[in-house]
Amino acid sequence: MQASRARLFKEYKEVQREKSADPDIQLVCDDSNIFKWTALIKGPSETPYEGGVFQLAFSVPEQYPLQPPQVRFLTKIFHPNVHFKTGEICLDILKNAWSPAWTLQSVCRAIIALMAHPEPDSPLNCDSGNLLRSGDVRGYQSMARMYTRLAASPKKG
Amino acid sequence: MDSEDDMMDANDVESGDDDYYSGEMEHDCYSDDGDYGEDDADYDYIADNLEEADDIVSRLQQQYYTVLKEEDIFQLQEDDILNVSAVLSISRVAATILLCYYNWSVGKVSDEWFANEEVVRKTVGLLNERVVQISNVREVICGICFESLPVDSITSAACGHPFCKECWSGYINTAINDGPGCLLLRCPDPPCQAAVGQDMINELASVEDKEKYDRYLLRSYVENNKKTKWCPAPGCENAVHFTAGGGSLDVSCLCSYSFCWNCTEEAHRPVDCGTVAKWILKNSAESENMNWILANSKPCPKCKRPIEKNHGCMHMTCTPPCKFEFCWLCLGGWSDHGERTGGFYACNRYEAAKQEGAYDEAERRREMAKNSLERYTHYYERWATNQSSRQKALSDLHQMQTVNLEKLSNIHCTPETQLKFITDAWLQIIECRRVLKWTYAYGYYLPEHEPAKRQFFEYVQGEAESGLERLHQCAEKELQQFLIAEGPSKEFHEFRTKLAGLTSVTKNYFENLVKALENGLADVDSRGACSQTTTSSKEPVASKGKNSKCKGGTSKN
Ligand SMILES: [Zn+2]
Ligand SMILES: [Zn+2]
Ligand SMILES: [Zn+2]
Ligand SMILES: [Zn+2]
Ligand SMILES: [Zn+2]
Ligand SMILES: [Zn+2]
Repeated sequence: MQASRARLFKEYKEVQREKSADPDIQLVCDDSNIFKWTALIKGPSETPYEGGVFQLAFSVPEQYPLQPPQVRFLTKIFHPNVHFKTGEICLDILKNAWSPAWTLQSVCRAIIALMAHPEPDSPLNCDSGNLLRSGDVRGYQSMARMYTRLAASPKKG
Repeated sequence: MDSEDDMMDANDVESGDDDYYSGEMEHDCYSDDGDYGEDDADYDYIADNLEEADDIVSRLQQQYYTVLKEEDIFQLQEDDILNVSAVLSISRVAATILLCYYNWSVGKVSDEWFANEEVVRKTVGLLNERVVQISNVREVICGICFESLPVDSITSAACGHPFCKECWSGYINTAINDGPGCLLLRCPDPPCQAAVGQDMINELASVEDKEKYDRYLLRSYVENNKKTKWCPAPGCENAVHFTAGGGSLDVSCLCSYSFCWNCTEEAHRPVDCGTVAKWILKNSAESENMNWILANSKPCPKCKRPIEKNHGCMHMTCTPPCKFEFCWLCLGGWSDHGERTGGFYACNRYEAAKQEGAYDEAERRREMAKNSLERYTHYYERWATNQSSRQKALSDLHQMQTVNLEKLSNIHCTPETQLKFITDAWLQIIECRRVLKWTYAYGYYLPEHEPAKRQFFEYVQGEAESGLERLHQCAEKELQQFLIAEGPSKEFHEFRTKLAGLTSVTKNYFENLVKALENGLADVDSRGACSQTTTSSKEPVASKGKNSKCKGGTSKN
């Protein structure tokens, strides 16, 4: 508990210092609970998610960083490896390929990489996986783009 | 009566190998042969023959498997490690890592190593030199807690990636508690594959974790070795090393438990493993529960451990150390998937196989359960009855050995060594109950469309059953009067002849029954009439003829 808190605090300070370093990731620690974080990530360019801003919710276990954080999309996203309803993410580093040397920041980077390179072979979203696996890239892209516009476009006000 | 003494001694030696009983009886030498009358000749003759047969069986057993105690396993493992370490000129720790990786196959390790040492080093994580150099600094940042710490509290695997000892302990603790995958632990740095061996575990893990690790190491020697398996008896820590396939797959552990080498279920001759598995699955049916298991857990296609599906995607990864990646639908390797399997979410390997009927078995099983619940109940009840009857016989045998034999010995002024016929009878009953039990699973799966076979099967099963009942009755009920008798009697002598005779008749009958069923009742001409088959089939019926002498002498009941 103490170790995870100390480590998260280190990450927090690092995030504060680097705030402008990675313009695609904005990690925010919950005001009252250092084990809850949210992140805003920018959809990578030249993907159907370009222009969208996606919110992620982190729930960090007490055994962190020996155990991985739980991460899910709060923003609706049409992606083969993300559950459309729950936002659950199928990513090996969040499961058995986790290493305590990863950080919340590097998890965000891995998720951005996953957005750019979907793996239709381990689909959590069957429709999306089907489109890609059947070779209908345009179908997949237009659906993904539509949801990016509907759900992930920054609203004014 | 020297030969008698010899026979008893031979028994003494063998009782340890016996399936169900490791003999605790004392076998005092005795010179008084007054108890043996002329009409013992039959019994002696048969007993001698049986001893001979037992001798051969136990010698064959010696050839095809060995029971290993924990210290034997430890010794064999140690020998292999030292061997590899010497042949490859590498450290003990490195040799252990290699052997773990190659499932304790010494041959595989040296083949791979001498074919391409560099590749092996890379895959296994045995680096030749550090990737990270720490020089001339007093403090280093730990890659896990991110604290800047004095160099002496930092340590690393062969790669040099720095982590503090506390973080190492946590990392190792997590890995050890995750399971035997900790035997192939790597440096925590994500792309780094440097192996973390037993030397680091010993240096950095808690006493408790070290014990667990050692346990996993020992277990991996048994569990990852195709020729070795744990004895499945609860509480037994022996392993069985199976060398060459003789006919039989049944092995007996030193703890007296007999099991099938192939499927590790309790010994189940004459029924094959597939039937046993089907039957056990069927019995575990509170059918909804069973359907849930069928739908939600499948054996990993590689290591066969049940894997529960609790994620949405079909991409399954088995737990360490197996980590086999496979497709939930077709159980094929995941690496075979992608474009080649059709590009659809619905894996078409599964669809194709389903059309070919390969996956219909489970469906059919369910159908059958529904359509013939009554039929199933019939077989199940008899299976279960024999099972509990066997349990009862086991405890009766125990009672016999601990209390009654001594009592009988005193009442009838007979050395306990001469009461071995009673123990033999009980051991035979226990074995026969086991066989008879499994004949009900056999009968349940016997094809409906072969009525001649079925009829013949039911005939021999019925004969076996009544023969066994006679023996059981004799050993259980008829014995009672001698337990409350005042003193020695001629009747006890007659009882001895009868029980020994019944034991040997039943033993023969069941052995032939087992052979005939294992043979798939091949002797039965499936088109022939029943009357013909019962007389033309040699095995089980002939056995009755062979022992008619014996039977004649004991059919007084
Ligand atoms: Zn540390
Ligand atoms: Zn490393
Ligand atoms: Zn055992
Ligand atoms: Zn078996
Ligand atoms: Zn597996
Ligand atoms: Zn498949």
